Amino acid sequence: MVNIDWQAFITVFASAIGFTTLIVACFSLGVRFLTTAQNSAPKARKGNSKAQQVESLNLVGAYLLFAVCLSALAYGIWLIIPFVSH
Amino acid sequence: MDPIFIVGLVVAIALFFDFTNGFHDTANAMATPIATGALKPKVAVGIAALMNLAGAFLSTTVAKTISVDMINPGISITAQMVFAGLTGAILWNLTTWFLGLPSSSSHALFGGLIGSTMAYFGAAGVNFTKMIEKVFIPALFAPVVAGIVAFVATKVAYLITSRSQAERKAKDISTGRQKFKVGQIFSSSLVALSHGTNDAQKTMGVITLVLVAGGVQADGSHVEIWVVLAAALAIALGTYAGGWRIIKTLGTGLSEIRPPQGFAAEVSTGVTILASSKFGFALSTTQVASGSVIGVGLGRKGGVVRWNKAGQIFVGWLLTLPAAGLVGAASAYLTMQGDWGLIVDGILTAAVAAAIFTISRRNKINSTNLLSEVEGASEVVLSARQIKANAKAAKKAEAKAKKKSKKKGKK
Repeated sequence: MVNIDWQAFITVFASAIGFTTLIVACFSLGVRFLTTAQNSAPKARKGNSKAQQVESLNLVGAYLLFAVCLSALAYGIWLIIPFVSH
Repeated sequence: MDPIFIVGLVVAIALFFDFTNGFHDTANAMATPIATGALKPKVAVGIAALMNLAGAFLSTTVAKTISVDMINPGISITAQMVFAGLTGAILWNLTTWFLGLPSSSSHALFGGLIGSTMAYFGAAGVNFTKMIEKVFIPALFAPVVAGIVAFVATKVAYLITSRSQAERKAKDISTGRQKFKVGQIFSSSLVALSHGTNDAQKTMGVITLVLVAGGVQADGSHVEIWVVLAAALAIALGTYAGGWRIIKTLGTGLSEIRPPQGFAAEVSTGVTILASSKFGFALSTTQVASGSVIGVGLGRKGGVVRWNKAGQIFVGWLLTLPAAGLVGAASAYLTMQGDWGLIVDGILTAAVAAAIFTISRRNKINSTNLLSEVEGASEVVLSARQIKANAKAAKKAEAKAKKKSKKKGKK
């Protein structure tokens, strides 16, 4: 009898879609924030206080999100290297 | 003949298989970053090679010997059987590379070994149920799972980074989607690293198996350090050689890929592979990577997937096991004839491999013409934008040439 481990399959599917979406969403949001920050940079340099605020807030958000992505990368490496994760 | 000589021959051919494994699978990690321009082709294969080298060293503590579940446990595998099986795997890998089809190197290896086992012991030696479970079912699931995951990821990436037309016009804002290229460098490297830990290990397992069978090594409880070194180097060299034909198919032949899609595809591939190995539902990296590319192709508005190419790839997957098996079986009959058969088999394999390489030179695809319009094994349909860009580049080159010739004329 062909035996399909449906439970393992569903676990793989669910975790793959969950983690991938999370990582891609974080990176995309980071890209969005970073772009917004860069777009307000010229005005901020001219001394526009609102633009300065927009720039710094977006930058902080972007860096935080990229940090989340980097930690996901670190987790991935940890999973790959057997003598660390087993 | 000296058994040590036979063992040496099998080790050599196993390392050659490892090399083909490397260049066949470079595309899994590096086709998308090359296609979007995140990495230059040569840099990409360089990173992939380093990652594979590192991965090969990192993996050796876990799996010691290859487990071929599909071969019934009562069968004792000999060096000759492994030799025959490897020739099947190598020739199928080279054939699919020539056709530009991404296909699983592991399945080719299994197919070759199963073929030679059947030649030696008949159908009783092979567990067909396991074969369906381990090869055919995953071949159906891998592209579907990766495809759906990548599709959703692409939708998310585009949704989050989208800016309305009004916003773009009023504030002169770009979407910043080119920044995904930076992410691609990391995501593709991770895929390459996981490939190194998985695949070099298979060759080490095969070599160890043969060393034990040949009485060179007492038991299969460890992998000799020279085996690790040789296998790591072979797969890294193969990766660096770059299977450009397959990179072309996966990077531009299935769909036109842009940076957010490339990033989504690589993250999907990496996460799906890691999840599959963590939760014990083994999936082929190649099949997952192909599924991801199709998924991201469907996920972008206006994205087109060339289904006839996808169909060819899928047929290739279904043929991998039987085709490598047939060659493996034919090789096995040769090796049964005695030592001369083994040597003839080796020479034949080398000759066919050389022939494939020679024919492939007629329409060479390498790092320089990879992304340009060339007639290749994998026909590439260009988008209107690419055609325009190419025409522009051609005009520029022409103008330059004219200037040069004018200067020369003056002199």
